[in-house]
Amino acid sequence: MSSTTIPLKKKRRLGSKPEVEPSQISPPKDTKKLKRAQDSTSHSQESTGAYSEELEVLKRDGQQDLELHRSECANLRQIMQDIQSAKMSDADDKDEYVANKRMQASLHFVTLKKLNRLSHFRCKAARETTMAGKQRVDSLHLQLQNLLYEVMHLQKEIKKCREFKSKDEDIELVDVDTFYREAPSEIATPHSTKKDPHKQRLARLDWELEQRKRLAEKLKDCQSNTDILAREINTKEEYLDSLQPQLATILQATIPVQEYLSMPIHEIRAQHQTAKLLPRPLYILYVQASAYQEARDSSMSLKIEGDKDAVISAGSASPVIEEESDSDNEESLTQSKRRRKTVGNKLEEKRQKLLAKHPLQVIMTLKFRDGSVLTLTFSYLTSLHIVSVGVDLKLSSAAKTTTVTSDLLSPDRLLSCLHPGDTGLVSPNASNAYQFSKLGMDSMSSYIGKTGHPYRWAQWLAGLDFLPEDSEATKATTAISTSHMESTLKALRSRTRARLALTKQLTSLERNTVPVPAQSVGLFPAKIAARLTSWATITKEDFQALLFMQRSPALELAEDYQHFYLATCSRGSAILKAAVLLSVDYPRCPPHIVIGVTLTGEHNHSNDNDIRDLESELNLHYDELVTEKSHDYLLSNQLQRLLMCFDVYVETRGEGEGAEGPTEFAREKMFIRLTRGRGRSKPYKYNAQYRYFTQR
Amino acid sequence: MLHVCDPLQESCCFSLWFQFFEMALSLEEEIRRQRQQMHMTVYAQCISPNGKYLVAGNNYGTIAVFSITASLSAEANKETWKPLVSFKAYDGAIYALVSTEKFLISAGCGDIKGWAWTDVFQKNPKVSWSLSLPASSNFGAFETNALAYSTKDNVLYSGGGDCKVYAWDLESGTKKETLSGHTDYVHCVSLYNQSQQLASSAEDGSVRIWDARTSGEAVHIIEPHKHEECARPQHGKWVGCVSVDAGEEWLVCGGGPSLSLWHLRSLTPTVTFDAPNCCPQVVTFHEDSIISGGSTPFVYHWNINGDPKTKVPCTATRVFSLAVNTESESNKVLCVSGNSSLIDVYTNFGYRAFSLDFC
Repeated sequence: MSSTTIPLKKKRRLGSKPEVEPSQISPPKDTKKLKRAQDSTSHSQESTGAYSEELEVLKRDGQQDLELHRSECANLRQIMQDIQSAKMSDADDKDEYVANKRMQASLHFVTLKKLNRLSHFRCKAARETTMAGKQRVDSLHLQLQNLLYEVMHLQKEIKKCREFKSKDEDIELVDVDTFYREAPSEIATPHSTKKDPHKQRLARLDWELEQRKRLAEKLKDCQSNTDILAREINTKEEYLDSLQPQLATILQATIPVQEYLSMPIHEIRAQHQTAKLLPRPLYILYVQASAYQEARDSSMSLKIEGDKDAVISAGSASPVIEEESDSDNEESLTQSKRRRKTVGNKLEEKRQKLLAKHPLQVIMTLKFRDGSVLTLTFSYLTSLHIVSVGVDLKLSSAAKTTTVTSDLLSPDRLLSCLHPGDTGLVSPNASNAYQFSKLGMDSMSSYIGKTGHPYRWAQWLAGLDFLPEDSEATKATTAISTSHMESTLKALRSRTRARLALTKQLTSLERNTVPVPAQSVGLFPAKIAARLTSWATITKEDFQALLFMQRSPALELAEDYQHFYLATCSRGSAILKAAVLLSVDYPRCPPHIVIGVTLTGEHNHSNDNDIRDLESELNLHYDELVTEKSHDYLLSNQLQRLLMCFDVYVETRGEGEGAEGPTEFAREKMFIRLTRGRGRSKPYKYNAQYRYFTQR
Repeated sequence: MLHVCDPLQESCCFSLWFQFFEMALSLEEEIRRQRQQMHMTVYAQCISPNGKYLVAGNNYGTIAVFSITASLSAEANKETWKPLVSFKAYDGAIYALVSTEKFLISAGCGDIKGWAWTDVFQKNPKVSWSLSLPASSNFGAFETNALAYSTKDNVLYSGGGDCKVYAWDLESGTKKETLSGHTDYVHCVSLYNQSQQLASSAEDGSVRIWDARTSGEAVHIIEPHKHEECARPQHGKWVGCVSVDAGEEWLVCGGGPSLSLWHLRSLTPTVTFDAPNCCPQVVTFHEDSIISGGSTPFVYHWNINGDPKTKVPCTATRVFSLAVNTESESNKVLCVSGNSSLIDVYTNFGYRAFSLDFC
């Protein structure tokens, strides 16, 4: 305790002193008493040997022993100090005192020794108990491990069982309601299965099995049935196959009878057989034309000609254009000369191939009343996908005697422009132009000689319809052919008839006579003073260069493929020149006539209104000249009217000129009025009934 | 009341209808149509009272109505130069057209017919009334070549094939007077002096001046072919046209003889308008000049003293009709027609602006 706290301690001491002092002093006394008591007990137990000491340990408290040890040690130290102090002092009885003290000390040592031994025993015993405890823990731990392992195994087994799948789950079963409705009660047993889902399932599976068995049975039955039927069909087919040669022999046998009865059934059949080999467009043409022939036009005949075997050997003659890459052409330019030659040959071959015709052709023959025969050969150009026509006109003996000077009946021109603009020189299939240019060829027109004319109507007859834009869709259809057949054949006939009549008229005109047909004679006065003096064919350039043609609107009508003629008429000193523009579509498109008169100066439509009136009389009022029968003789009638009106023109001219002396042109005709109306028009119109002339 | 439609819209409708019509034509009809157009002659023209429309009649008896306003507009094209409406009025040619406040009057081969303007503008033309010529020969009816209308007393004068000039009272629709004296058919009639006097020219070579109010003999007779300065025997003696100026001092006429100006009071020829090879068919006073046309493809403008002003080329090779639109100041044009399907339109009288297409 520090000196600073003395006051506090003093106070405390004041209160507690009486308690503390005795307790501090007394323990040594107590321990002495204890020790003595212990000593007495230990002494009594010594006689029982070492084992008894072990037992003693068990009986004693370790804590008390520790206290005892401490007190003994303290006593010992006290004794030592007492001895030391005694030795230091020079007291007389020190030896005795010391001896006394030594004895006391020895007693304390004995006690200490005993305590030491006891503690050793205690220590040993503690170790043994620890060992035993440890062993018990080990064994318990092992047991725990075993149990855990067992738990894990069992869990795995449970899981395996849970995951097990039965095959019956994959089977599609009829639903429960249907099952109870359909299954017999011995399988269904509703009273037991309705409550137990497992039993119900089993019952359903049973029913399924039953049903499947039945179906399998049925399948087997059906298969056997089909086998039987197939066998039957086989036998019947064999029978039919054997029938063909039999029929052929019967047919062969009938040929003499057919010939005898002049019924070419077999021939027609053969033609029809051949028709099957025709390419689709020609086939359509053939079918439609023969249908038309049977129904409407018996003077037409049809034939198929060509190499039938070539088609058969070529297999299904499908027209496939060989696609040639452009690089080939470029290559050919850079190759050596020798190679170029071979390539050139190859190119030539390709060109030939492009123009190739299908080996079969349809030949249509139209007979006319005067004995002329028009033969049309339709061929199919396989690479170009168009139908071309070869035209041949055989004139009758009557027509042949006339000298044909114009090309009106030439095969190239006869059927040109049957429809407006259809010259037959340009391919109607727009894609052909590209095919030609690819092989470095000119347009179609330069090969017409080889191919024939690809007239548009021919494509229509063959069911091909090329729209100006859409050239790809060239699938031949029957509808096109049907819709054009009648009109086209009629057009062909009327064109040829008109051309034959026109040729006759032209032949006559070249001999300077106007061939007025009998039906039209009444349209004109009996006496016409003006005469046709010459008739000549001229070119388009000549036509356009004529003096009186200048400023005429007719100039715009002139086209290359039309025919141009120049007629000269005269009456006394008056000379009339008439330029005739004859359309290829004559007489549908009537001839257009432009007139120039030379009589004291030049007169034409631009300086003389009377000439203009005369032209309109011819060009506009032609319908009066057309009667049913004389339709093809329109040109002659127009020229006859021209002569008549020319008479009127010169005879009425003298009026108003003072009329000095007799005029050159005596008035032979009856005119009601010489001029009329604001235009002072001349009386060009002839009234055939009363034979006078009047204004229109 | 005049029904006036929007001319542009009208022309659009019409062109659509026309295209459809054209497509429907067969080849034969197309050829016929083309040739008709090629040989067409437009003899008569007149201007509607409101000055917006030109009416023309041709040798096939067809009347066509053109919109002057639409064809003069900035958006004018070929379609607006075609007729708004056209209809067949006669079997023969139409020689004369005049316009009154309410009616379009046409004459030619057959009766004189009146068409109400309202019907014409509604594109539904029908004959409102017609006047039949009294006499007809054994060889068909006479034609009427000329018409003149007096607004003051609503009288129509007509001259034609029977050598007579008739005065028709349009109020009652009856023939009022008959002026006879010509020995050949009448070409042209012209009213003057507030419609009290009438000049007529005829094929017989005379111009006769009548008192319009009575049916007596002709007051004066002029015979140009007997005067040396204008006679041209090679062209005949017929007088195709006559006109009197607004001051009633001068008369101009021509035909076979040259176009000549006559002083009315002294009845002497004062000036001859020299146009070689041109037989005048139509003449008119306009402002202080004379416009004439005839058998050459030109329209002649003359000063009153005989000097040629200009000679303007036109499409027709023989001019039959001149129409000056005096009704409307904004549409003041000269229309020239003749033996062509095109009617030339002159906006400044010296240059052909465009041609209306009578198709």
